[in-house]
Amino acid sequence: MSSQKTFEQTKIFTEMVARKQGWALNPDASFYKSLVDGLAANYNRYGYFLCPCRDTEGSRDADKPAICPCVWSRADIPEYGHCFCALYLSKEFAESGKEPRAIPDRRYEDK
Amino acid sequence: MNLQNLPVVSKTGARNDHEIMVYALSTCGFCKRAIAFLESNNFSYKYLYVDLIPLEVKNTIKQELKERFKENVAFPFAVIDERTHLVGFIEADWKLTLGL
Repeated sequence: MSSQKTFEQTKIFTEMVARKQGWALNPDASFYKSLVDGLAANYNRYGYFLCPCRDTEGSRDADKPAICPCVWSRADIPEYGHCFCALYLSKEFAESGKEPRAIPDRRYEDK
Repeated sequence: MNLQNLPVVSKTGARNDHEIMVYALSTCGFCKRAIAFLESNNFSYKYLYVDLIPLEVKNTIKQELKERFKENVAFPFAVIDERTHLVGFIEADWKLTLGL
C-alpha cells in the first residue's frame, strides 16, 4: 500500500476531528490508545479510517458511513454523550467524569 | 457453528461454570475491555477476532448469529452456554449474565 499511518499520525487525525467538531477525546489514556491503534490498523489494512469498533462490509463504498468520524456520531454524541466506539465524547460528557459504555449501533437502523 | 480451522483462542481460568465464546474485533476498545474482564475474573473462555478471518467466513458467522439470536451483530458479541448472548460490553450486564 502506498501510504501507511503511524500511531502519531492517527492521533493527530483524531485531534483534528475533535477540534473541528467541538468534541473531546476519550480521557482514558489506555482506552484512547487502543482506539488510535485500531484506527491506524484499519487504515493500514483498508486504506481508510474505518471505525475501530465496526467490521468492514468489504469495500470503501459500503464502509463509507462508518469511516471515522462516522455519520452516526452526530446523533450518538448528543444522545449518549459519546460515539459508538467512544473515541469522541461531548465536552459535557467528558466533564461529567462518567464512563462511556456500549451503545446501540445505528448502522443497522435503516437495514 | 463450525469454527474449525479458524484462529479461535482458548483461555483457561479457574471459573468454568459457563461456556463463553466471544466474537470480537482486534481493533475495538470495548472488545478489549470485555476480554480483559473475562481474564481478570478468571473465566475460561474462547474468542475469535473476526476481522482477522476471510470476509465471507465472517459474514457467514454474523448471519448465523443474527438468525439464531434475532439480533444484529455488533462487537463484542458473546454467546453464553450456547443459549444466551451479550452484545457490546456493559460490565454490569456481563456480571449479571455470568453470575458475578
